[in-house]
Amino acid sequence: MRKPITMACLFLLLLVVLTGCWNRRELNELAIAVAMGVDKKDNDYLVSIQIVNPGAVAAQRAGTDTAPVITYSTQGTSIFEALRRTTTKSPRKIYLSHMQVIVLGKEVAEEGIAKVLDFLSRDHEFRTDFFLVVSKDATAEEILKTLTLLEKIPANKMFHSLQSSNTAWAATGKATLDKLISDMTSEGKHPVLTGITLDGAKDIAGTKENMQRIDSRALLRYEGLAVFKKDKLVGWLNEEESKGYNYIQNEVKSTAEYVACPNGGNIALEIIRTNSEMKGKVVRKKPEVAIEVRVEANISEVQCNMDLAKDKTIRGLEAKAAEKIKGFMQQAISKAQHKYKADIFGFGEAVHRAEPGFWKKAKQNWDEEFVGLDVDMRVDFNIRGLGTISNSYLETKEE
Amino acid sequence: MEQCGSLRKEPLQACLDANLKRIREISGGSTDIIIREVRIGRSEIKMAILYTEGLADKKVITDFILESLMLAIKETEIDLKISDRSHVSRVLRDFALTVSDTNEVSDFDGLFAFLLSGDAVILVDGSPCGIAASSRGWKDRGVSEPAAQTVVRGPRESFTETLRTNTALIRRRIKDPHLWLETIQIGRVTRTDVAIMYIKGIANEKIVQEVRDRLKRIDIDGILESGYIEELIQDKTFTPFPTVHNTERPDAAAAGLLEGRVVILVDGTPFVLMVPALFAQFLQASEDYYQRWDFATLIRQIRYISLFISLLVPSMYIAITTFHQEIIPPRLLISLASQREGVPFPAFVEALLMEITFEILREAGVRMPRAIGQSISIVGTLVIGQAAVEAGIVSPAMVIVVAITAIANFVIPAFSVGISIRMLRFGLMALAASFGLYGIILGVIVIVLHLCSLRSFGAPYMSPFAPFHLAEQKDTLFRLPLWALFSRPRAISQNDTIRENNEHPHPESKQNS
Repeated sequence: MRKPITMACLFLLLLVVLTGCWNRRELNELAIAVAMGVDKKDNDYLVSIQIVNPGAVAAQRAGTDTAPVITYSTQGTSIFEALRRTTTKSPRKIYLSHMQVIVLGKEVAEEGIAKVLDFLSRDHEFRTDFFLVVSKDATAEEILKTLTLLEKIPANKMFHSLQSSNTAWAATGKATLDKLISDMTSEGKHPVLTGITLDGAKDIAGTKENMQRIDSRALLRYEGLAVFKKDKLVGWLNEEESKGYNYIQNEVKSTAEYVACPNGGNIALEIIRTNSEMKGKVVRKKPEVAIEVRVEANISEVQCNMDLAKDKTIRGLEAKAAEKIKGFMQQAISKAQHKYKADIFGFGEAVHRAEPGFWKKAKQNWDEEFVGLDVDMRVDFNIRGLGTISNSYLETKEE
Repeated sequence: MEQCGSLRKEPLQACLDANLKRIREISGGSTDIIIREVRIGRSEIKMAILYTEGLADKKVITDFILESLMLAIKETEIDLKISDRSHVSRVLRDFALTVSDTNEVSDFDGLFAFLLSGDAVILVDGSPCGIAASSRGWKDRGVSEPAAQTVVRGPRESFTETLRTNTALIRRRIKDPHLWLETIQIGRVTRTDVAIMYIKGIANEKIVQEVRDRLKRIDIDGILESGYIEELIQDKTFTPFPTVHNTERPDAAAAGLLEGRVVILVDGTPFVLMVPALFAQFLQASEDYYQRWDFATLIRQIRYISLFISLLVPSMYIAITTFHQEIIPPRLLISLASQREGVPFPAFVEALLMEITFEILREAGVRMPRAIGQSISIVGTLVIGQAAVEAGIVSPAMVIVVAITAIANFVIPAFSVGISIRMLRFGLMALAASFGLYGIILGVIVIVLHLCSLRSFGAPYMSPFAPFHLAEQKDTLFRLPLWALFSRPRAISQNDTIRENNEHPHPESKQNS
């Protein structure tokens, strides 16, 4: 009889000792943070934290007059300090596990984001699946104090908007913490982050008024890619360059392109599938990179009179489109090479993979080497379908 | 009990009056024991016919005992034979009594055993031997539909409170002389008939002997239901899990016999016991074998899922919402958080409150007079389903959790295992509230270890999962087609293990026809 009792005691003891993290919180004691913004203010950080107001978001109580989220902005010498100081304003402790988006202010980005990332990767509460973006022409605080429609929680709007624009438009980049840190620490690659900007009236962005109009007067929008050199923001890529960047990175899932018809008007193409390969090599002690992009597309809009049933027409369109995409990529590369002198494409990594021996010597001054790097681009463009009609109605009219 | 002891040894006397006097003395002159004194034949031999009113069939007594003794033997050869007086009872048994079954009684103990079971006892003056003539016949409920273990497809018969009817219901299904039946009486006062049934050659002899031994060891004043027997013969008392299976369905009992189990029938209850019991067996319903195998397999798996739902869902909910909020998808978390806005209790207290309320409702539903039963369900749904939520005492999510738990619990075909799960749920909820998922996992490990340590009449309780037998999996998580269920479970008996020899059925080829 003694043995089972001893075992039970031992078991209970183990139960208590082995638990590790032990933190009991009820759901209504949590302030669920969904977005965080970091700005600079008088040598301190200004941390804005967007917290869900569950009562106002839930489906059953929809239509209440309170805002769906609350954004607290607090100053502190470190992000952690600022977050803890937030509890002087918030009735509940900030819970960071459900972070969706982190917005880095432009100034913070220019000064270097490594310090911010340290907290994000050190703190145990973060689930590292949030997206990081850089605010452009607005502070992170202003971005986080904007109310949005459709997605009541602005952080959700930012999260899903980035996802959908990435899959359907391809001029934005999804960067999670892991990817950003691995790019930042890599010797053969510099990171990029998507930019976010606030269009319209900043003064009413956070009021109910903004949500009651059919055309929101203040609107969050993604724009371009921010180019970083190591952890410092050095400049921006515009929309076309961003697309070119994504073509090189094999990040394009689907997008829209157009080519001009020979006799005026345009033909819009829906890119349905792309695949790109980057290969590095060393020729006569000079590194070279070859990029091969295969693109498949459907014709989605025809604004001119053209006989699409002819093979020749299609071949012609394919060649034109290939040139166009090549142009985007060229634009992106030359901007990175000559303006920012930052290898954001990972050409260094490609060379490293191909010739590890050469890379050992080249990596010290890779940034200079990158400026004069020869990049060979080949685009294989294929049109697969014409849509549900063949020739445009324009043609029949003329006959 | 001194009287009983002396009664056991006391033989019948030759003098009829002395015997009758003693009988009246022992029974306290109970008014339902009828003593009819008659004189028969030319020699006017004194006799007494005794029976218990209500237990004996009066028609049998008047038509086949009184009539044949008093009228039919007059002026016949038998009449001459009994005038001898030396062996009257022998002659009557052999020639006169037109009843189906007679026995000889020589002491008061035996006499009362027959008398109080409904037989008529005939005592002859001058003979120390009485005759017990079978005349049992009392009002019983008759075979009706099973109340607890219903089926959509399958026989609608249920056991009744009469032992003989129950054995007959099993015999009707298994017409094999090797279906053996042993009856013993248990209960110092109630003297309840308890029957053991098994198929000789299929059942394991050792298990049969073990059942006999354990039944013989029982020393109790009364057996009112098979639950008494179950508790007195089970392998382990301190376990939440039943190690004896019970059923009220004759077809389930017959299936148990065919698998080599021993069936214990107790007079006075429609629930018969089956040993050895395996855990997997509690999740099998007789209908599994009457419906098509693919459907039966699906249902089987739903039952296993339900088992885990009813055991784990409340504790999982508590653990995840109070310790592991990071594993809930953001949208779900926000929805759950909004439901919990304003709920004053921690999730554990909330869950406990709801689970206990539900248990109270369930118990009330069982005990309620049937006429009020319906109002209970209305009050129940209104009180816990709506009012509590609207008052902000519990969150709607918790109501869903409690409801799914309760419904999943009813899916388990064996009520006895359902009860085990109901009890263990509370322990796991406490573990979840103090240690989170870690506590649940430890709790589950303890439960599994405990299950694996159990044995039922020598058979490992978790067989065929642990010890694992691949071939036996045919009738656990899956119910393979009938032609593939070719062998009996080995954990129960190793005798005559091949059940059938069927090919995969297909249309006969032309060569054969």
